[in-house]
Amino acid sequence: MKPEVMLMILGMAIVTFIPRAIPAIFIERMHFSPRVEKFLRLIPYTAMAALIFPGVLTVDAARPEIGIIGGLAAGLLAWRRLPVMVCVLAAIGADMLLYL
Amino acid sequence: MKEYIKGAKAGVPVIFGFIPVAIAYAVMAKQAGISAGETVFMSMAVFAGAAQMMACGMYAQGAGVAAIVLTTFILNLRHLIMSTCVINKMKGGGMAVRLLSSFGVTDESFAIFTTQPEEHSSPAFFLGLISVTYSSWVGGAVIGTLVSEALPPTISSSLGIALYAMFIVLLVPGLRGNLRLGLLVALTAVINSVLSLLMSSSWALIAATLLCAFLGVFFVELDEEKEDAHEA
Repeated sequence: MKPEVMLMILGMAIVTFIPRAIPAIFIERMHFSPRVEKFLRLIPYTAMAALIFPGVLTVDAARPEIGIIGGLAAGLLAWRRLPVMVCVLAAIGADMLLYL
Repeated sequence: MKEYIKGAKAGVPVIFGFIPVAIAYAVMAKQAGISAGETVFMSMAVFAGAAQMMACGMYAQGAGVAAIVLTTFILNLRHLIMSTCVINKMKGGGMAVRLLSSFGVTDESFAIFTTQPEEHSSPAFFLGLISVTYSSWVGGAVIGTLVSEALPPTISSSLGIALYAMFIVLLVPGLRGNLRLGLLVALTAVINSVLSLLMSSSWALIAATLLCAFLGVFFVELDEEKEDAHEA
């Protein structure tokens, strides 16, 4: 193992773990007001929206329709209450068809 | 134990997304001159896909360790927000369990755990979930060190939709019957797109997430009774 690479990995591991660990260490001492609780409960929705868009357009940077069709397939089936796995596989399947 | 297995099951869709990305990462690492052992060790110690790929790219271009570590920090700062939501939702468990859990907070485990109904908020559920995501991430890197080339572009691009599809599927049930929440989600997508033009996408994601959740506090109703989470 090269010392430089080892140092890089350890540094990356530390700076990645710190933000993850801070809430685990301090949450017991925190008491959130109902407003802050609501804010925290909205974050999954806004974070997922931001994780999806515009990133989904660059699944294949040259062909944005790959992301759009796959995403629509997943969303449509999820709306009809199909299981997560079925929706994900359908999205993969739809994109494989587009590549044929 | 039952909750652990339920959590593991909820993590299964992530496998399809993680393994191809992990293979692509390992192939990048090899091209950057990073050994197989180091490649797998990085996945075990860091457990953050985008940062690991970025590190390989920067290392190949001769960037210094300090620059790579700083970029990693910025790229993974979003986990501070996600970990807060995960730990805040988690019921029970001591400091050791919470610290172990926090190591497994990624975009995917956060998205799955925070959209589960209340009965799945035990540490056991989350530990089951991250056991699956972690082992597929590390396992994928091991596979990647054994193959000489990434998956063919058609297959990797088709699988590239998997994690996006999963986020969409987790998001949709909460929006049913809640028009204002749907508007907030659409607004976040627009704001994130605009911010992405002005700053790096990692900062844009943090800013859009926090700003829009803050705006949502004033006009979105969150009804506990309406919760209709998706069973895996």
